[in-house]
Amino acid sequence: MLRLYVAGAAPNSLRAVTNARAICEGQSAPGFELEIVDVLKHPRRALADGVLVTPTLLRVSPLPTLKIVGSLSDKDQVLLMLVAK
Amino acid sequence: MTPAEASSHRELGQRLAEAEATIAALLSGQIDAVFDAVSETPVLLSQAQQALRASEEQYRQIVEATSDGIIRLDLLDRIFFVNRRFAEMLGCDPVGIVGTSVFDLMSRQGKLVMEAALSAGTESLDVTFCHKDGTEISVNLAASALVDVEGHLIGNLGVVRDVTERKRLQAQLMVSDRMASMGTLAAGVAHEINNPLAAVIANLDYVSENLAPKIIGRDPSKAAPKMSRAWLLDEIKGPLDDAREAADRVRLIVRDLKIFSRSPSDDRRGPVDVKVVMESSLRMAWNEIRHRARVVKLYGQVPPVEANEARLGQVFLNLIVNATQSLPEGQAERNEIRVNTRLTAGQVIVEVSDTGAGIPPENLGRIFDAFFTTKVAGAGTGLGLAICQRIVTDIGGALTVESQVGKGSCFTVTLPIARAEEREAIPFVEVVRVGRRGRILVVDDEEMVLRAVKRSLARDHEVTVVAAAREALALCVSGQRFDLILCDLMMPDMTGMELHKELSRVASEQANSMIFLTGGAFTESGRHFLTDPPREHIEKPFDASNLRAIVGRYLR
Repeated sequence: MLRLYVAGAAPNSLRAVTNARAICEGQSAPGFELEIVDVLKHPRRALADGVLVTPTLLRVSPLPTLKIVGSLSDKDQVLLMLVAK
Repeated sequence: MTPAEASSHRELGQRLAEAEATIAALLSGQIDAVFDAVSETPVLLSQAQQALRASEEQYRQIVEATSDGIIRLDLLDRIFFVNRRFAEMLGCDPVGIVGTSVFDLMSRQGKLVMEAALSAGTESLDVTFCHKDGTEISVNLAASALVDVEGHLIGNLGVVRDVTERKRLQAQLMVSDRMASMGTLAAGVAHEINNPLAAVIANLDYVSENLAPKIIGRDPSKAAPKMSRAWLLDEIKGPLDDAREAADRVRLIVRDLKIFSRSPSDDRRGPVDVKVVMESSLRMAWNEIRHRARVVKLYGQVPPVEANEARLGQVFLNLIVNATQSLPEGQAERNEIRVNTRLTAGQVIVEVSDTGAGIPPENLGRIFDAFFTTKVAGAGTGLGLAICQRIVTDIGGALTVESQVGKGSCFTVTLPIARAEEREAIPFVEVVRVGRRGRILVVDDEEMVLRAVKRSLARDHEVTVVAAAREALALCVSGQRFDLILCDLMMPDMTGMELHKELSRVASEQANSMIFLTGGAFTESGRHFLTDPPREHIEKPFDASNLRAIVGRYLR
């Protein structure tokens, strides 16, 4: 389960959404469900998750939780981190 | 390592990796928004940048719109930034002075003050800058240190306020306060003058109406009856002596008035005898004092102080009037105003104390503040003591107070001793000596003065009198020569100064033989004329023996 925090349609956020979708839909990462949360509409949720900047990708499960900050442009590197235990 | 320790170790490592990745993302510009810690809302970074620019613009407008000059100096006291107002004050271009040393923009006095202040770490100082046109500008400079985020000193920030106008107003306030004191006392002074004046008039009338007919006889053609010497002494000398004594008292009072009404621009300092000034002040306030208190004077031997007589008089008068006002009316025997002078640790101490109401402790700290007054509205400006303190500190002295409610107050003025070379310049009484017989021309528009001077000098000299400077000029132009010209300074039509100027042109040796007579209330130009270069002059009123002595000395 992944949650991507974005700030409306800001450029890096849009890029992160595109990259995150590509990662989830790719061959190597089956089973990841992606939720996109706009912090401009739901700031409380970001704070509850300890997210202070956008874009931030949060791995909710499996534990331990994991945060990746940025536009996720290096998809291979992101994937490596997401599948790590 | 236990499994629990290993797990927490791994978690720490991961958090560290996340933090590093976040920083890398921040640095590479991949962040769109951050949460503001205070409002807990996300702030878009592009907006944050706009807000920063708006905030900078706002500060720039404040800095440029303020009526104070603002300068920023680097560590070598070179100008890093000035606002437009500061550049305007100095009449120069804000960009042009960046990089120059701040000391280059200051007057010589300003540099000295600034250097002393910088080394002493003073935060607020009065200095003078030089305008581009050469005039000096008095400013107050409030300095503060500038530090970077790590707390290192990077320079100084100065807020510069033009106080030229404030200084002018301050001087005006001092005069108006002095005039207010004088106004309060005017009625009393009139009374003080009227008493001796009544004695002068009555005694002279007595001589004129009762004695003259007896001596001359009612019919001027008849010879006067024979008078005994003793009778003459009793009946004529007695009233004349009384009149003379009374007139002397008027002279003293007028001298006192002159002390307090001196020109505001005349703030020259010199050696001043505190006892003389204190006596004048007591006389000025006597009408206020006498119904309220006894005056006890304890004058110790003190050297002259370095001060301005008029300003010091203002201080003493203020302290005396305050002391008087703290006492109830009508119990003069029970109350006391005590003045004393003494020399302590190389300074002259003057104390004015009273047995009045005293000052409550909560007010004691505020009595020297401007506009603080406990008097009913309209009775006091609240400026008196503030001005007194300023006058005293300006000459390097101090004004302090001790007070106990119900017992009274004691104000202590500490004053610096006059410098030795000036103390020697105090005038001494000249020994009377009559010189040779000379030709003297007296010029004065006041007929009474002419007659009196002629009467005083005619026995020893050949005296010609004229009532206008033009007549005197005509005499000299026609070729008449005098050993001495006694000339009134201020006259309508042509003044003594103008006569001097004309004579310098047509008969310079006559111009050099002039001694001027002055009534004291002369103008700025008159004062300047007499002092620069110093010219011989005699102050009215003068007594006959003094006048004869001065003339005799001149003709010797």
